[in-house]
Amino acid sequence: MRLYLSVLQFSVFFLLSALSVQAQQRFTLSGYVRSSADRSGLPGASVAVPALGTGVTADSTGYYSLTLLEGRHQLAISFIGYVTQTRELNLTKSQRQSFSLAEASNQLGEVVIEGTGTLEQKLQTTQMSVEHLSARDAKLLPALFGEVDLLKTLQLKPGVQNGGEGTSGLFVRGGSADQNLFLLDDAVVYNPSHLFGLFSVFNADAIQSVDLYKGGFPAQYGGRLSSVVDVKTREGNPQKLGISGGLGLISSRLTVEGPIVKDKGSFTLSGRRTYFDVFTRQINKMNEDTEDYSPIPDYYFYDFNAKANYKIGQKDQLFLTGYYGRDVFGFNSTGGFNFDFVWGNTVGVLRWNHVFSPKLFLNTSFSATRYQYQIANKLDQFGFSLSSEIQDYALRSDLDYQPNEKHTLRLGVSATNHRFNVGRLSANSTDGSLNIGSETIYGGQEASVYASDNFKASEELQLDYGLRLTGFQSGSDRFAALEPRGSVRYSLTPKTSLKASYAMMYQYVHLVSNSGASLPTDIWYPSRLNVKPQRSQQVATGVSFLLGQGKYLLTNEVYYKWAQNQVDFRDGAQLFGNSDLDAEFLFGKGWSYGNELYLEKKTGRTTGWVGYSLAWTKRQFPAQRGGSGVNNGKVFYPTYDRRHNLTVVGLHQLNERINLTASFVFTSGAPTTLPQGRFFMQDIFGDDVEAVPIYPDRNTYRMAPYHRMDLGMVYKLRPKRGESDLTFSVYNAYNRRNPYFIYFDQERDETTGAPQSFRARQVSLFPVIPSVTYNFKF
Amino acid sequence: MNFFFYLLQQLTRRVRTATRLGPLAALLLVGATGCNLQKDIDVELPAFPAQLVVECYLEPGQVPRLTVSETAPYLSVPTPTLLTDVSVVLTHPSGQKEAFRFTPGQDTLTQKLYTHMGKNPLVAKPGDTFQLDVKDTHGRHVKGTATMPSSITIDSLVWKFNDKTAEERKAYLLVKFQDPAATADFYRLQIHKDSISKDPNRDFELDDRLTNGQLMTLGTSYRYSTNDTLLVTLYHIDQPYYRFLQSVSDAQNANGNPFAQPASVKSTVEGGVGVFTVLSYHRRKIVIR
Repeated sequence: MRLYLSVLQFSVFFLLSALSVQAQQRFTLSGYVRSSADRSGLPGASVAVPALGTGVTADSTGYYSLTLLEGRHQLAISFIGYVTQTRELNLTKSQRQSFSLAEASNQLGEVVIEGTGTLEQKLQTTQMSVEHLSARDAKLLPALFGEVDLLKTLQLKPGVQNGGEGTSGLFVRGGSADQNLFLLDDAVVYNPSHLFGLFSVFNADAIQSVDLYKGGFPAQYGGRLSSVVDVKTREGNPQKLGISGGLGLISSRLTVEGPIVKDKGSFTLSGRRTYFDVFTRQINKMNEDTEDYSPIPDYYFYDFNAKANYKIGQKDQLFLTGYYGRDVFGFNSTGGFNFDFVWGNTVGVLRWNHVFSPKLFLNTSFSATRYQYQIANKLDQFGFSLSSEIQDYALRSDLDYQPNEKHTLRLGVSATNHRFNVGRLSANSTDGSLNIGSETIYGGQEASVYASDNFKASEELQLDYGLRLTGFQSGSDRFAALEPRGSVRYSLTPKTSLKASYAMMYQYVHLVSNSGASLPTDIWYPSRLNVKPQRSQQVATGVSFLLGQGKYLLTNEVYYKWAQNQVDFRDGAQLFGNSDLDAEFLFGKGWSYGNELYLEKKTGRTTGWVGYSLAWTKRQFPAQRGGSGVNNGKVFYPTYDRRHNLTVVGLHQLNERINLTASFVFTSGAPTTLPQGRFFMQDIFGDDVEAVPIYPDRNTYRMAPYHRMDLGMVYKLRPKRGESDLTFSVYNAYNRRNPYFIYFDQERDETTGAPQSFRARQVSLFPVIPSVTYNFKF
Repeated sequence: MNFFFYLLQQLTRRVRTATRLGPLAALLLVGATGCNLQKDIDVELPAFPAQLVVECYLEPGQVPRLTVSETAPYLSVPTPTLLTDVSVVLTHPSGQKEAFRFTPGQDTLTQKLYTHMGKNPLVAKPGDTFQLDVKDTHGRHVKGTATMPSSITIDSLVWKFNDKTAEERKAYLLVKFQDPAATADFYRLQIHKDSISKDPNRDFELDDRLTNGQLMTLGTSYRYSTNDTLLVTLYHIDQPYYRFLQSVSDAQNANGNPFAQPASVKSTVEGGVGVFTVLSYHRRKIVIR
């Protein structure tokens, strides 16, 4: 009888519970997660219900949508660099609820303190091989000349190499520098560098955050093989006018932000300029009487960022982004030549965000981007100029739809019209006796359609799968491709996740460069009949552990990437003013593989990460087009291949006024090509005998390993008004002479001029460089 | 009329200079010029088998001379090595074979060293093809073929002084000639001051890729003073020799330029390294006044 009553009680309880569940409705909570400081949206912020083990991530505008059962819920809202907020909410209907997160510290150079939410979020998401970086993170770390550079900070992450000492170029998992898609608020930036790669075009004052995708690419991204660098700019403070800026060793910057209409719209304007030229002109002036003194050319760069947003009702918001930057280099030679070299990007984006319902919203953007360089040379009445540019107009639309709590769909289309001016030459004279012009222009149209679904099959299993259809045409040459994408996460335990991903990528535009580095004179070129699109596939698997009560996240990823139609150029290729550039291309294959270990800590007074990668990158260009290919068709390591790469980054908040930072980098030596043999050439006439180097193989020599420690300190001042700090940096703290390149020098007999001996010389670029920057905000 | 080849060359050099001066300018800013940023290092290069090196410029009216040497590991000490076991045979357009004598010496006009020499002054006209055959007793065998290009005449030489006074008063020089429209043509311009035995004051090569059939104008910067004696030589060269010159320049530039890709030398001969060509040139002598 007692057993019967127990069963009955249990049955009644079960039925009531079931009825109760059936009676509970689902409602959608939606809104924005914003920074309390400037009201800008926080893309990637997490809104979670820890008790239910569920949550969502805010989109690129900071918008989130979370469907829950009715009732009381404890919400945790978190984002890197912001204090995690918990909020209890009684959900009785679908409702909008926006959150404002306070910055982790109100200092200018604050130590990042965040809740464990973001590490848990990284553990739980299906997305792998991604690095998120906020401008606040980058501002803390020591920087070359004190110039904060987000791309250089990304180089401290495993799987990312730089292109040489001090450069901001990215080489991601064996990909070359032109295989990165740089997006500034959805618009492509073709040349992300100032000063021949030493600084990036992204002014940290204007940037909110950067996401770097190294693999497992979501279906909405395409067009490059190796990485996506998605840069989001800051929105202005919609409540009050503010001014911030900094005075540095080589540049100064200023940002103004404020409301357009209070709480309806805001703007941000940022600008910076270097003043190398001020110093070099003084040096030239001091030496103008020195015999044989060769004046230092003028060089400076400047850039402006602008962002504005405006709400039109409850469901619509407009965003306008602009960027304009130029590098200027020039000099007047004693021989009478005037030389001016100007290059830079111009970018504009207009985006419309429309919320149909909390579960359905649309982002549509129209963007225009242009990269151009122009070199002008003058002598007396004669003038010569060489220029090149790529110009895009693009329209894209992305629709996010969450039909239920298990699925999140994303659909999108995009169309881009390219205009490639691969070389414009002109020569003229003021007397009209010379007037020559040459120009090669190609058109190109690129389009894509994609669909993806994030499917929560169970608490343990979550999948993200998608398909991207891309097409490209240039003249009568057409290409199309299907690019499948997929990733999966399986939770072995609440603190252990297994992940895997696959992505196929196509690249229809190619960088024409035989410099081995990104230079301003590199030309973008479309896929054509004889220049096929580049293609790559990447598989990656990983495991993540949340350790130390959620304070640490340990991740290990293994990847293998293989690529076809990789591009190189014939020896001695004529890349300037060549109307038949197709004939200069060489095509080959590439593959890279490696293991990346990453331990990060983001809570407490001491934060940072340790990254280690073991990797191989290889290329092969067989004999073709009447030549022997590259390296006689044999496999070789490109210059950015590094076997070992260790980075250690630490940030410590000593007290309320002082933050200390340090970073250490160790990488294996870079491959380089050295001449193995030589012969002497007398030539037809002349008394000089020249040694001519012979290079039988490419990149067979490894330079010495690279290692460097940087130290930094942020000291908060106490001004009467606003905030200010002094940021100290010491680049290359122990003054390591890292190899930049090696060359062979020739010693000559002083009387006869005959070669006597040869020696190998190693050149280093930067010794220890201390710097200080004054930052202010009011 | 075409002035921009020279300017293009200037441009290329400026770009190269720019790419190297950027970091240097940065260094200057931090006072790093005083730092020693270069050092000697030990480099172990793999074994490099020696190849025969041939340098031979045939010229109508001149007794043919040829220099044979061999390649060496780059960092080895330069030691004069005379290869005594090399035989050289020149095949004339008529099919006649001429064995060169091994008579090491120095050309009194060009100051160049040579190892082998023909018997008689060369008889050649544009379009004539010669063959070269060089062998040694170790089985190394170098072969080459060269055709004499037509002669292109310098139409005019024009110079103009700047407005400066005294020592700073300099003139630039323009060299004008007509490019044939029917062919792809390649040129080398050399300007010597006072004597062709010295290194040329200006020396560059170019093609007519963008200016086929036009009146070409090549120029210099303001660099010549009053009473300078200039020897202006315009070579009409064939494509293999043009490529050889370009590749030698590229190979030399790659040593010391971190942005340059290493380039292999494109010899005009097979089986070894070097150049075999027939010179066709027009030379004019002027005094700048």
